Amino acid sequence: MNEKPKQPQTSETFGETAKTKDEISRRQFLTYTLMGTGGFMASMLIIPPLRATLDSVLQKKQEEPMVAVADVSEITDEPKRFTFTLTIDDAWVKNQKTTFTAWVFKSENGDIMALSPICTHLGCTVDWNSNPKYPEEFFCPCHGGRYSKDGVNIPGTPPSSPLAVYAYEVKDGKLYLGKLISRS
Amino acid sequence: MAHERNKNDVKYVGDSRVKVRKEKLYPKPYSEYPGKTEPFFPNFLLKEWMAAVVFLGAFMVLVVSHPAPLEATPADPNDTSYIPLPDWYFLFLYQFLKYFPSGTAVWGAVIIPGFFALLFLLAPWLDRKPDRRPSKRPIATSLMLIVVAGIVFLTYEAVVQHKAQVEAMEASAAQHAQQAAPAPAPQDQGTTATFDPEAAYMQSCSACHGQDLAGTAAAPSLIALNLTVDEVVDIITNGRSGSQGVMPPGMFSGTEEQKKQLAEWVLSHQ
Amino acid sequence: MIQKVYDWLDERLDLSPIWRDIADHEVPEHVNPAHHFSAFVYCFGGLTFFTVVIQILSGMFLAMFYAPDIVNAFNSVKYLQTEVSFGYIVRGMHHWGASVVIVMLFLHTLRVFFTGAYKAPREMNWVVGVLLFAVILGLGFTGYLLPWDNKAYFATKVGLQIAEVVPVLGPYVKHFLAGGDIVGAETITRFFAIHVFFLPAILLLLLGVHFILIRRQGIAGPL
Repeated sequence: MNEKPKQPQTSETFGETAKTKDEISRRQFLTYTLMGTGGFMASMLIIPPLRATLDSVLQKKQEEPMVAVADVSEITDEPKRFTFTLTIDDAWVKNQKTTFTAWVFKSENGDIMALSPICTHLGCTVDWNSNPKYPEEFFCPCHGGRYSKDGVNIPGTPPSSPLAVYAYEVKDGKLYLGKLISRS
Repeated sequence: MAHERNKNDVKYVGDSRVKVRKEKLYPKPYSEYPGKTEPFFPNFLLKEWMAAVVFLGAFMVLVVSHPAPLEATPADPNDTSYIPLPDWYFLFLYQFLKYFPSGTAVWGAVIIPGFFALLFLLAPWLDRKPDRRPSKRPIATSLMLIVVAGIVFLTYEAVVQHKAQVEAMEASAAQHAQQAAPAPAPQDQGTTATFDPEAAYMQSCSACHGQDLAGTAAAPSLIALNLTVDEVVDIITNGRSGSQGVMPPGMFSGTEEQKKQLAEWVLSHQ
Repeated sequence: MIQKVYDWLDERLDLSPIWRDIADHEVPEHVNPAHHFSAFVYCFGGLTFFTVVIQILSGMFLAMFYAPDIVNAFNSVKYLQTEVSFGYIVRGMHHWGASVVIVMLFLHTLRVFFTGAYKAPREMNWVVGVLLFAVILGLGFTGYLLPWDNKAYFATKVGLQIAEVVPVLGPYVKHFLAGGDIVGAETITRFFAIHVFFLPAILLLLLGVHFILIRRQGIAGPL
């Protein structure tokens, strides 16, 4: 046996004949076949469960309905907290009433803004004007994240993107809120 | 070791606290036997995995083509008409128990199956002769064959009886539904003297008490009851809860006269 | 790269003898279906183990979709079965696998019995095998309740009723399993815990012993 010293001993222990560089030993061939067969079986077993667990990601989101939240007359320039309830199907828990919150106000040009209270840093809940050090700002108590009134994050604080806004529409003097639009 | 060793000498293996034992029962590795042996990895394992691929393919075809059964509604503990059925591999035990009347259930549920389980567990000590061929150990072989045949028979019986029970139950449910329907009730049971207690029994009672009145897992035997006609009528009307479960009230809904006839018919089986 | 990591570990932990013992041991001719086709009867043990692996895998995924609770159990199973794509396959694997395990186990047991493979010196492995059989039947019994439909509910009720017949211990066994006087909220959580934690732990332990004993004693010789 006149092999290169790098060759692992395994082929020698089995008394294989010497191979040129490009040939593979019978043992190696069998090992590759084994790996192929094993991989085939493993994928047969793992793909259906994996597909099932990823189903919620791959499923189309159901269209969220617009919900009446407040009378337009209640909305001022000062952000005000409104809650509204949506009936959602959460997997096998059907028709579950879930409450959402929005900070709603009229911006300077008269448009209505409905901001999500979820801090874009790590998902805590922001509050308006709650910290005396930072008046007229949204403040997140968890890590001191701050946002200006229109929900834009203040540079130098932890959040890296503005608060999300709700899609809205005004009908018959009432404000309807829809799905959240991310502004990052 | 070539030289003689004194019997009392203690020889130590690598760890000096562990004594070398003289003889071990570990068999020699197969590399020392003649014959076409092959290494487990990769040669033999590859063959096993070929078999495994075929097996898995067939299994997945079964899984995809036959969704696992699930009933349409969640469990309803108040459902009195549901006939329970254990998973198929417990059916033989379930069926075996049916042959034991109420007082002796412990034999059917524990003692006899337990005895067989113990025999099974202790097989290596009961069947000790070194010969391994089935033909050379007739007792062990025949005993196992009998047990396997018994299990197959009991499972088959359980399936057949369950089917019959479900059919009887469905028939009686259909009958009830017919009776409940308001329109055609000309030959409703009892308006005339044509009331047939046996037919009424088959309709309303046999699903639980058995077509031969001998009882089933769901209800006790009605043969040789030590009751009066009035007591039986009372049980038919109001139900009863006893050691073998609950009989709901109103399983047979006829007139008092019909109940009496039914009771007399039941008590005629002595 | 992998070779280097392996060498680094092997230097310290001496890994080679462990897998070499498994990989290089010689498998005799009489169990090799390539030489004698009738030797396929020696595959049943391996197929039992293979199905157990399927059960563990599909079971772990099933647990992601299951709520062991009398209100939600049925709904969560139904949700997986009807609304999650491929969900019925995951459940089907576990459902049919449960039956296939029993069939394979039965065939394996008969093979061992009729070839007299349990004789000295392999008595202990037979005992371990019988215990494994019992554990797997236990897994079947506890798993049957979990979908919480009428079939599951009433079969469990009957099963517990039978357990109660056992002299002296019966009522305690029943109470331990059911967690109360009725088959209800506490029964389903107990059956769930027994089905996914207690019995699988015992199963893996016994399987380990089963395999170590086979490796130490070698497979029984030809008849």
